[in-house]
Order: sequence, then structure tokens, then C-alpha cells
Amino acid sequence: MNRSTWNTNLITALSVLILLGIWQIGAVLLDAGVILPTPGTTFSALASVVQQEPFSLNILATVARALQSFLIIFLVGGLLGILSGYSRSLHAFLVPLLVICKATPVMSVILLAFIWFTSGTVPLFSAFLMGFPVMFIQVEQGVKLISPRLHEMTVAYGFTPLRRLIHLVIPSLAPSIITGAKASLSMVWKVVIAAEVLTVPRYGVGSRMQMAQVNLETAEVLAWTLIAILLTAAGDLIFLSLLEVPRKLRERRSKLLEAIR
Amino acid sequence: MILKNLSKRYLVSGEYLPVLDDFTLSIEPGTITALVGPSGCGKTTLLRLIGELEQPDEGELVKSVEERGPLSYLFQEPRLLPWHSVLHNVELVMRPWYPEKEERIARARDFLTMVGLSDFTTFKPDQLSGGMRQRVAIARAFAYPGHMLLLDEPFQSLDTNLRWALVNAFLKLWNAEKRTTIYVTHDVPEALLMADTVIRLSSRPMRILENHTIGTPREERSLGSPEFLALQARFYT
Repeated sequence: MNRSTWNTNLITALSVLILLGIWQIGAVLLDAGVILPTPGTTFSALASVVQQEPFSLNILATVARALQSFLIIFLVGGLLGILSGYSRSLHAFLVPLLVICKATPVMSVILLAFIWFTSGTVPLFSAFLMGFPVMFIQVEQGVKLISPRLHEMTVAYGFTPLRRLIHLVIPSLAPSIITGAKASLSMVWKVVIAAEVLTVPRYGVGSRMQMAQVNLETAEVLAWTLIAILLTAAGDLIFLSLLEVPRKLRERRSKLLEAIR
Repeated sequence: MILKNLSKRYLVSGEYLPVLDDFTLSIEPGTITALVGPSGCGKTTLLRLIGELEQPDEGELVKSVEERGPLSYLFQEPRLLPWHSVLHNVELVMRPWYPEKEERIARARDFLTMVGLSDFTTFKPDQLSGGMRQRVAIARAFAYPGHMLLLDEPFQSLDTNLRWALVNAFLKLWNAEKRTTIYVTHDVPEALLMADTVIRLSSRPMRILENHTIGTPREERSLGSPEFLALQARFYT
């Protein structure tokens, strides 16, 4: 680790310590665990939450909902974004849906979805409606940035639509797809947990938060919040690591080729 | 190939701008025809019509049997896919015509060797210089089994030394397989050294001012000879 990385890490650690200090001072001054428990109490609650059964089921339920929503957003938003980027008619057709999705408050979507669907489906539906415009708009904008000169080259050299999609459209859209996917993934976690809080399905991080809040277990609410933050961070980290896989494979392949030569 | 009474106009600020108006030209198969004219006269439009990247408003293109089918295009810029290697860029365009991967790769390597890039096949376009990228584009145009070659000022943005190196690389490949070539340029010396026929064009709407066939073999041509000095003087007026 070089000196500048050391410095950066030190500053980040210092920032965390200051935040914990402010939290500790605030909790001591208030002296009311129900309103603001100390960091120590919260970490104890976190330890006991992790040991509670069915902790893993609650985590898995939320992760499964978030991943399902993300996958649907990725495929539907990506595909419709590409098609809409090429078709003005489809763009015009989808504009009202996008305006509604972007302007409707998250809570309205969750409450309406709760009237229409079962509690397990509400987080999926709500996350889709909130995350879809993010992915869609990024990909649609990306289509407009595809080089017209490269497109013309593929026409001149008789590329089939499939070959053009694989070798021009998807690689050109990669930055937009990654940005859209990252932004919608972050949003999905928040909406899924918010929907779980309101609809209280049998298992889920949001359900546990709601139950803890009803029982005035503020330390447990904070503990589940920390778990939600860790899940989001882990999701981002896994996503970024997956993006590195093709590059590492390419590097390994070229090293292997050089060694063979 | 015969271009019969071609017309093409574009709508600019609410008015139709005629680029080609009743334009007729006959091109000998297996020769290099240079189209020389002022910037913006419609040379590129004509090339795009021949390449079927655009359709004429009126008139028709009549191609001989050997000129029908796929076309190789060499643009002003290399237009390489930046995420693919040099070799991949060349072999990719050949896929429908050479389904056997080994044969396709061997052909792509052959053409890259001919343009002096055999050691750079695994490089990405952004790791190459401008001249090297244009050489990849030349290799791609020749490796692609286009029945005609269409060149749109492909050496225009390069310095003089590089330009002549690329012209030589091009002619070396062309001599090995003489395909009908139509070459747009505004560089008169380049046209006189490369082409069998040089066609001087007017400004918009484009018309033929002169259709000159050069009898001197390419290897004997010299820009300093009286014949070519006279031709240059004529083409620059």
C-alpha cells in the first residue's frame, strides 16, 4: 500500500471515528435509549440480531427480492432502452409511463401496490417502477451516443442486425449499461426495504425493522439499518468485482498467449 | 458500371439543394477511377450512392455481373471497432464469406502482413498510430471480398510521407487483385499517380468537366515529367 493510499484510508477512518464520536455524545446528552441508543448498545443489538433465528432467511428474502427486481429492471430497461433509442414512435409511446414512474412518490407506489398485490410481490413491483426509468434513460441516451460513422461502417460491410448488436451496439452501450445498472441497483435496495417496512412480509430486513420499531427497540432498528447499509455496499462491491472479471480474463489470456509464443 | 442520369438533392433550411443533377458516367471494370473536384461538390455523395449507403432521387446504377454483390469501403477515417483487436477488426467483416474460422484468420493475417502489421495483430486500435490504423482499414477493405473498392479520401488527414507509404501499400494490394476502384480525392498529384482514369468535376450541382484516361503505366509515372506537369496545370485550373 503506498503512502497516498495510507493517507486516504487514515482520513476515512478518522471520519468514521468522528461520526461515531458525535453519535456517542448525542446519545449521552439525550440519555434516552428509546430515542437514540449509544453506538455500543447498537452494536450489541446487531450481534444479537445476527444470532437470532431466522436471520439468514430475512437477509435471503430481501436479497432475493432485490436481485429479482434488479434482473427484471436490467433486462426490460436495457431492451426497451435500446429499442426506444432507435424508434421515435416507441420513445413517444413510453414517455407518459416514464413521467409517471419518475414523478410518483415511492410511498404512493408502495401503498397502491399493497392494495393490488400480495406483500411479497409489492417490493418487487415497487422497485421495478422506481428503478426502470433509471436504467431505461441511461441506455436510451447511450444509443444516441453510438458513433454514426461506425454504424455506417457496419452497413457498408453488410453486418446483420444481430452482428451489429453484438459488435457495435452492446460494446458502445457498455458504459451506459454499467452506469444505469449501478444507479438502479442502489435504488432497488432502498425501495425493496421501504416496501418491506410498509407491507411487512413474513421475512425481510424491512419487516424486522418495522417489528423493532413497533416494539420501540430503537437499537434493533439501527442494527437492521446497519445491515441494510452493509447489504447495499456488498451489492455495489460484488457488482464492481463482476465488471473486472472480463478484463482480468483478457489479461490472463494475453499472458498465456505470450507465454505460448 | 454505368451511372445513368443520377439526381440527388437534400433539404437544407427548407430548400432543396441539388448535389447531383442528371449525372451520367461510365466506369471501366478492373480499373482505378479517381473523382477529383472541389470540397463539397458532391463526390462523397456520388460514392455513397454507388455504395448503396444512399439512394438516388432519380436515375439508376447499372453494374456489370462482376461488380454486383458486396463492396469494400475505405473511409476518410479508419472506422475500426475500438474494443476489438486489429485481427478481430479485419476477420469480423469476413465472417459471412469465410465461415471457416481458420481460413478467415489466415486471410486476415495475410492482409495485415501485406500492410506491415503482422506484429500488431493483438493490439487494440487506440494502441496504434493514425497511419497504422488506416493501414488496418486498408487490410480490412482488401480482406473483405468486395467486388468493388470505394475510397473516400482515405489518406487525406495524413502527413506526406505516410500518405505515400499508404498509397504504395494500397497499390501493392490492388495489383495482386485488380478490383474496380472508385477513388474520391481533391489531391490532384495523388489521383494522377494512382488512377487509370481521372475525372475532374465541377462544383454543385456536380458535372464532369474532364474525363482523362492516363496511358502511362503507374511505375513509369513521375509528377515532374512534362506530361504530368501539364496535367497538373490543367486539373488545377
